[in-house]
Amino acid sequence: MKATAEKLPDNQATDVDWDKCLAAYYEKPKSSLTWSGLEVKEVYTPEDLPSEKYKDICDPGTYPFTRGIHRNMFRGRYWTRREVIGMGSPQDTHDRSKLLVDEGGSGLNTIADIPYEMGLDADHPWAQSEVGLTGVCITNMYDMETMTADIPLDKVSWSLITASSVSVVTMAQYAAVAKKRGYDLKKLRGTIQNDPVHFRYCGFAPACPLDLSVKLGTDVIEYCTKEMPLWYYTTVNLYDLREQGITAPQEVAFGFLIARLYIDEMIRRGYKVDEFMQRFAFYVSCHIDIFEEVSKIRAARRIWARLMKENYGAQKTSSQQFRFAVHTAGCSLVPQQPLNNLIRIAYQALSAVLGGVQSLHCTSYDEPVCLPTENGHTQALRTQQILAYETGVTNVADPLGGSYYVENLTNRLEEEIYKIMAEVDKVGGMYEAIRTEWLDRVFEKEALARQKEIDDRDKILVGVNMFTTDQETTTPLGVQRISKVSVKKQIEMVKKLKKERNKSLWKEKILDLKAAADRRENVLPFMITATEAGATTGEMMGAVRLSFGYPYDPLEIIQAPF
Amino acid sequence: MDVINAAEWAKRIKMNNRMAAAKLISAIERQEQIARDVLKQLFMPVGNAHVIGVTGSAGAGKSCVVSSMISAYRKQGRTVGVIAIDPSSPFTGGAFLGDRLRMQTHGRDKGVYIRSMATRGYLGGLARGAVDAMRVMEAMGHDVVIVETVGTGQDEVDVSRLVQTCLLVVTPTMGDDIQAMKAGIMEIAQVIVLNKSDMPGKDAALLDLEVSLRMRPVAEEGWLVPVVPTVATTDDGIEELMEQIEKHQAWLRKAEGLKQYAFKKAEQESSVIIKDEIERVIFDQLRGTGLRRKYLEKIVAGEIDPYTAVEEVMTLFIKKSVKDV
Amino acid sequence: MKKKKDNKVRKIKVLVTKVGLDGHDRGAKVIASMLKEAGMEVVYLGMFMMPKDIVDAAIDEDVDVIGLSTLSGGHLVFTPQIVEEMKKGGLNDVRLVLGGVIPIEDVPTLKEMGVDAVFPAGSLTEPIVTYIRNHVRQ
Repeated sequence: MKATAEKLPDNQATDVDWDKCLAAYYEKPKSSLTWSGLEVKEVYTPEDLPSEKYKDICDPGTYPFTRGIHRNMFRGRYWTRREVIGMGSPQDTHDRSKLLVDEGGSGLNTIADIPYEMGLDADHPWAQSEVGLTGVCITNMYDMETMTADIPLDKVSWSLITASSVSVVTMAQYAAVAKKRGYDLKKLRGTIQNDPVHFRYCGFAPACPLDLSVKLGTDVIEYCTKEMPLWYYTTVNLYDLREQGITAPQEVAFGFLIARLYIDEMIRRGYKVDEFMQRFAFYVSCHIDIFEEVSKIRAARRIWARLMKENYGAQKTSSQQFRFAVHTAGCSLVPQQPLNNLIRIAYQALSAVLGGVQSLHCTSYDEPVCLPTENGHTQALRTQQILAYETGVTNVADPLGGSYYVENLTNRLEEEIYKIMAEVDKVGGMYEAIRTEWLDRVFEKEALARQKEIDDRDKILVGVNMFTTDQETTTPLGVQRISKVSVKKQIEMVKKLKKERNKSLWKEKILDLKAAADRRENVLPFMITATEAGATTGEMMGAVRLSFGYPYDPLEIIQAPF
Repeated sequence: MDVINAAEWAKRIKMNNRMAAAKLISAIERQEQIARDVLKQLFMPVGNAHVIGVTGSAGAGKSCVVSSMISAYRKQGRTVGVIAIDPSSPFTGGAFLGDRLRMQTHGRDKGVYIRSMATRGYLGGLARGAVDAMRVMEAMGHDVVIVETVGTGQDEVDVSRLVQTCLLVVTPTMGDDIQAMKAGIMEIAQVIVLNKSDMPGKDAALLDLEVSLRMRPVAEEGWLVPVVPTVATTDDGIEELMEQIEKHQAWLRKAEGLKQYAFKKAEQESSVIIKDEIERVIFDQLRGTGLRRKYLEKIVAGEIDPYTAVEEVMTLFIKKSVKDV
Repeated sequence: MKKKKDNKVRKIKVLVTKVGLDGHDRGAKVIASMLKEAGMEVVYLGMFMMPKDIVDAAIDEDVDVIGLSTLSGGHLVFTPQIVEEMKKGGLNDVRLVLGGVIPIEDVPTLKEMGVDAVFPAGSLTEPIVTYIRNHVRQ
């Protein structure tokens, strides 16, 4: 073959497989299933949407909010366009944040790194090689001051992405710094992810024992309700659940049941839903099946409103509304032909906006390759801007409302979601489902099913199991590297601070915190004073862990210094 | 590892060389001749180790119980060898050896040696070669050797013949399983562990177990099988479990039980070796002769029945190989 | 008695693990299951392992392959540490295979460090299985 090719360099066309070309011409889609496996019909007609059913749908801004939580949706305000930042030292993260504000981002979004989420200080022996790799590590008040320096905390809405039980520490550190800089806590705007229960599934099980997760998560909710009323104190994370490989209806069902664990704990502490539900928010995934994702969001809004009203007796509109941010599905992206990811992200962002999103994060196209590069970040923001300013999707609220297909799919997803919730009830409710690892088994089963679908080509992934090309040798827009120098400096600072702080004051405040935990009180106020006295993330978490009978260090490497 | 002879290999194992032990267990799993040669040198009728079996259904928390036991033994300063067995898939031959995951907190402890084994088609809850692997761990000098069985439930009687103390792990939610187990498997245990006893149904399960234990014939004169409630994930009840295991060991020593155990084990082991050996001798000799195929075709054609065929083969080969020896 | 040749098919044994604090274990679990389905014996070690823990387990379990899943970007830091531990432990014939979020630019560096193969996130199962079958010691 090779010899022939050398003889006829200009005649390569003879190698073209014309039968393949003909087959491609007549090719039709292999599957008529949604991404989550629901069979759908060829066409939908008025029979699928009888007009009397409109009472379940209603206008946007009207209960049960199927069509959106505001009547005018984006005419009132664009969705918040956030990009997640967090890398290197607190100083690096600070600099990158300011850059994105200059580029037109409308909110700040900083993500914790792994040691921070695990509740380790930057100088923990296991942390040192990972500090600043996937986010920022805040070990003490000084780190938080550096990250937020000269940023007007009363003008920006800051989204703090700490999800594990360490959220309570993050909130305390932020509040301590805001107080020091003279801000009124009651006027601060922002969000904290604070969903420790789900975070055990993201590899943080040692930092998130189940009882402690519910307790500390609810401590943040309770504290903010009283002291920081504008703050969105939890963002229950359906997104991370979806990333385990589960389906769209499972995402909503499991996420809602986890949300109820916090709500039920607030009620146990004596609150009524109308006293605290106004700032309850969700984080949702948008995967690649556009209509299914839009329908999922619409179904979720309706179910949540009914749940709040009918099960919890919520009277206020704001406690019935399902408010959510979207993160486009990281697990849908692949490193093969990486620029294709830009297209995937754009479709996913479109479905989020068609679903009536409040805040959107577009994944960087290079997520499956490396940590986001500056180019990747900018491109993600541009994707949102094109969507918001060029495409016209902001003109009309719930533009797909009334579509025979979308309304029908919304109903079917709603049914599926209720069905899955009933299954969890059967195993004893969400707390038991988690405790007995029932949910782990569901995740494992689904993840395996997703891999098989790709291996067997039941689902097509361009560049992976169809239209493949030779592996690229470079990443088109470059690769992100972390400056080791700045991180080293941070670790040195932490060690220095631990040596130089006022030992007796520090010890007194840490023991106060431990005593409050022993009394099972809300620990957040005690963490603020401990932070002010120089206590670190690892020390404060350790104090609470010891009180609940867990080892001081989640990795069981170091011992308590007090 | 470099190529060495059996004597040198055995020496290294006795010096607690982990790689030598690991390689030998692999050779045992593959049924290599060199493994037999080394094992001959490691033989002791009753070693110095307390050999404990842990059996019970999948999901009963066997690995967690084992992990807690390891911690307890380590606190006493005793070293522990663990063999954790998982099933091989009968279709693909693959196996997911996940027990180590639950015991990995001990992975950094030089006084603990964990080895996962797949059953590779061997029935009875153990892996082919598990008995020999136990011997390797004894030879390494471990004070305690624990064997965790597959946990498919019913048919795990082999382990009781090969260990000194056999624990059966059950949970309160396994009501139906307990009913089924009464039929037989409960008789193999010297200690019953009611794990996850923080779950509802603990008292009912406890009563159920006590009643059925009292109703069965006494298997070992003078030993009353205790039921110990535990929550292995929080180490609750582990202390009591350890006490009961020690009591059984003391009882074994007093009542000449160790001798009985050695006899029981020798009986079991030799019968397995005989079966394996005969199978091997015959199949090795059949290979390449075309005889096997010929007989199979004859059976299919109805010219001969399987019993007669096997009798013919046996006469041919067994006699021959006995003469060879 | 004459010496008999070993006639058993050699089982391939693989250690699947994650290193350090990187807790994204979905991919590791999936690949462990897929290798099992391909007829291999898979020791699943889970998360929060340090390089020495991994190598010690590989020695005790006598595996043919160490499969590391990495998603947090730490591969250039810990790979040399693992290779060093493997040398110290005498694991000369064990293959080291990496999978996960790894920039293609890093593959030559990783191979220089001593990694035998790299499979990026989104890989199909088949090439991984084929690689292992073709490259373990026989």
